[in-house]
Amino acid sequence: MKFTLKIWRQRGPNERGGFVTYSVDEVSPDMSFLEMLDALNQRLIATAEEPVAFEHDCREGICGSCSLVIDGVPHGPDRGVTTCQLYMRRFADEKTITIEPWRAKAFPIIKDLVVDRRALDRIMQAGGYISVNTGGAVDGNTLLIGKDEAETAMDAASCIGCGACVAACKNASAMLFVAAKVSHLATLPQGKPERTRRVMAMVQAMDREGFGSCGNQYECEAVCPKHVSVRFIAMLNREYLRSGILGTKMPARSDPPHGESY
Amino acid sequence: MSRVKVFFNSSVNSKIVASLAGLGLVGFVIFHMLGNLQVFEGRDAINGYASILRDMPIFLWTARAGLLAAAGVHVGLTLRLALRNRRARSVAYAARRYRAASVASRTMALTGSLLLAFIIFHLLHLTVGVIDPSAPDGLDTQGRMDVYGKIVRAFSNPLYVGIYVVGQLILGLHLSHAVSSVFQTWGIEHAALDHLFKLVGSGVALLVVLGNLAIIFAVFLGLLRA
Ligand code: HEM
Ligand code: SF4
Ligand code: FES
Repeated sequence: MKFTLKIWRQRGPNERGGFVTYSVDEVSPDMSFLEMLDALNQRLIATAEEPVAFEHDCREGICGSCSLVIDGVPHGPDRGVTTCQLYMRRFADEKTITIEPWRAKAFPIIKDLVVDRRALDRIMQAGGYISVNTGGAVDGNTLLIGKDEAETAMDAASCIGCGACVAACKNASAMLFVAAKVSHLATLPQGKPERTRRVMAMVQAMDREGFGSCGNQYECEAVCPKHVSVRFIAMLNREYLRSGILGTKMPARSDPPHGESY
Repeated sequence: MSRVKVFFNSSVNSKIVASLAGLGLVGFVIFHMLGNLQVFEGRDAINGYASILRDMPIFLWTARAGLLAAAGVHVGLTLRLALRNRRARSVAYAARRYRAASVASRTMALTGSLLLAFIIFHLLHLTVGVIDPSAPDGLDTQGRMDVYGKIVRAFSNPLYVGIYVVGQLILGLHLSHAVSSVFQTWGIEHAALDHLFKLVGSGVALLVVLGNLAIIFAVFLGLLRA
């Protein structure tokens, strides 16, 4: 197969970027999208050109690092997959494919297609954890969790933190990500003691990072590689209201308690 | 930072308060449409209705003040959010495809702003009466303000019909997303009912728009005459 690629190239965070067009041929339909880019990079390296920087790690759809907007959709045309799980047979031969980085103020570009997604980590540090004492492991089945709660928590916990929801949202809002984390922990008994403080702190961190607000447009759900449902956003709003009614104070605007220095 | 500022720095708080104010406006829009449908009962009915409202100045002015406050809060908060949202995506995509986000949901700030312009026009036109100063500020035979005559005069003119029809379409777009959105903003969801919540939005929008359009076209097509 042959393709024309329009790829966003940007040398560094403060450089001006722009699209550069490459053509690739001898692409196997069984190549993943990332393998196709690998092949392009091999060729660029061989001709002493700068290879295209893109992020990847697990290449099996679980790490969430392969953040590419392909023809205007995060992770490309297939639903429920990450870019590493997207295969070239999905594209018509000789097609022109536009490849861009996640675009959000809160995700500054590091180089080419690689963006800094640590804003999501800082939201997690603000409240996406449970506090437990270390010590002997608790016996299994001492804490019984109903099937329904377990299922709900697992659905929310399937979020891999890829940021596609932010990339797809017209407002670059991180609500689906935050909703998944808040709902996951608020549903389980281990997460309940800190649930009021958690939702306040995580929403505050989200706003602080410069993400937009949720317009209930649901583009996030439609691109989420893990099919995280927007019903969790309603759950987040409910948690937030509950927390407000219980009179939880906004956490002080200090460093997040589990913050590392960057 | 003041507590109010801290409160409204939260996007979720801002949305909750904006949706409350928006809901107040939705209530008014429905009430306004139902009240005006009384033109179909004739001059006497609608002029009587208007004079009842005017005979309760405390009610009338409380309602007006409440509406003004709701509109102020709604517009202020939503436009602030819209500006923040714009800043959150400072560089646009070269290629962009939406899978799920409806046109109505993506144009809320635009339809809202146009709606604001339309509401101001509408107030100046039919409430204050400065847009069409040649309109007779007539009284009917019982000495009441002739609302019926005003409506008939306005919508006999194709220019005003055009402006009001466009205004209704914009209102319909804004309402259709707004009303279903409120459920989500308030955390009201249920696997079996989410579909219904969507329908409620379209339903309310359709009802209000069709009700208002009925009046406009009834006059324009000559079913209601002076
Ligand atoms: C008849 C007048 C109006 C009614 C009935 C109305 C109603 C509503 C409602 C119920 C919402 C949904 C809130 C939510 O997401 O839960 C909404 C959203 C919105 N309204 Fe209005 N509105 C009106 C006028 C306006 C005006 C004049 C503006 C701006 C100038 C405006 C701008 C917006 C925006 C930008 C949103 C989206 C907020 C967001 O999703 O973040 N609206 N409106
Ligand atoms: S909610 Fe879905 S799209 Fe958003 S970060 Fe998690 S896995 Fe990615
Ligand atoms: S590389 Fe890990 S999810 Fe794609």
